Amino acid sequence: MKFEGRYARNKKTLSDEDQLKLANSCVAIVGCGGLGGYIAEQLARIGVGRLVLFDGDRFEVSNLNRQIMATELNIGQWKVEAAQERLRSVNSEVQVEAVRGWFEEDKAPQMLREVDLVCDALDTRDTRVMLERVCHQMDLPLVYASIAGWFGQLGVSLPGDYSVSRLFGHGERGVESAWGNPAFTPAVLASLSVAEAVKLLVGRMPSLRHAWLQVDLLSMEFERFEIQ
Amino acid sequence: MRVTIKLFATFRDGRFKVEEMELPEGTSVLDVIQPLNITPEEIAICLRNGKDANEHTVLNDGDTLAIFPPVGGG
Repeated sequence: MKFEGRYARNKKTLSDEDQLKLANSCVAIVGCGGLGGYIAEQLARIGVGRLVLFDGDRFEVSNLNRQIMATELNIGQWKVEAAQERLRSVNSEVQVEAVRGWFEEDKAPQMLREVDLVCDALDTRDTRVMLERVCHQMDLPLVYASIAGWFGQLGVSLPGDYSVSRLFGHGERGVESAWGNPAFTPAVLASLSVAEAVKLLVGRMPSLRHAWLQVDLLSMEFERFEIQ
Repeated sequence: MRVTIKLFATFRDGRFKVEEMELPEGTSVLDVIQPLNITPEEIAICLRNGKDANEHTVLNDGDTLAIFPPVGGG
C-alpha cells in the first residue's frame, strides 16, 4: 500500500531534495538497545531508505523500562529482528537489514559496505573506540552518543577527528553500571543523534564536530565543549 | 590563588556543580580531587581551561577545572 503524504510534516524542515537524499541513504546503527532502538525508529519514520542494525542480544525483562523495540510479547527475541518487524509496520518503504551479532573489526569492511553514515549506540567503551577507528578507515561519518542515569554525551566524528577515542579512551567502567538508564535519557540522546545524522545525510554541516554536548537532564543543562 | 572547579554528571551527586576555591600555589588536580573523594581512575575527561589535563597538572590562578565521569551506556 502506498501512503501518500507520509512525509508531509517533514516540510519545510526537509526539502523534497533532502527527502530524496534520505531515501537514497543507508545508515548503520551499531547497538540496538536503548539508544539504537530510538535511533532506528526515528530514521525509519523520517524516511532513510536503508538501515542496517547490529546487535548480538535478545530482549530481556530489564529492557522494558527504556527500549522502544522491547515489548512484553517479544522477550527472548533477537533485538534486531524485533526492531525489523516493528519498523516494517512503521514504514514499509524502508529496507531494514538485521545483523544478529556483535560488530567485529575484521568483518567491518563487508558489514559497512554501501553504508553512508554510522550511528554509535554501543554500550562498551572499547568497542566505541574500535568503531570510530573502523569508520575513519572506511571514510565514514560517525555520530556517537552515550548515556548513564540522567546524563549523556554526544558528538560527530568525521574521518581523522578521533573524538571518540579522546572522550572514551580513559576511565573505568561507565557510571551507568551504578546509575542505570531510565526511559528518558536514551530517547533524548537518540533524538539528538538523529538530528546530527540527518544534517550529515542531506549535506548540511553537523553542529557537534570537534565538540561534544554534555547533557544533564537532572539540571536540564546542555553544555557544549570543544575538543581541542 | 583562586580556581573554579566544575563537576559534571554523577560527580555532582553529594558534592557541587561549580565552586570557587582558594588554593595554595602549586596545587595539582590530584590535590583538588582527593578531598572530594574522587580518584584519577574515576575520571574520563579532565579539562583545564578547556584543554586536556590530568591528575598531575598543576593549576594556576584563575584556572577553571572541569571533571567528567565516564558515561558509556547505550
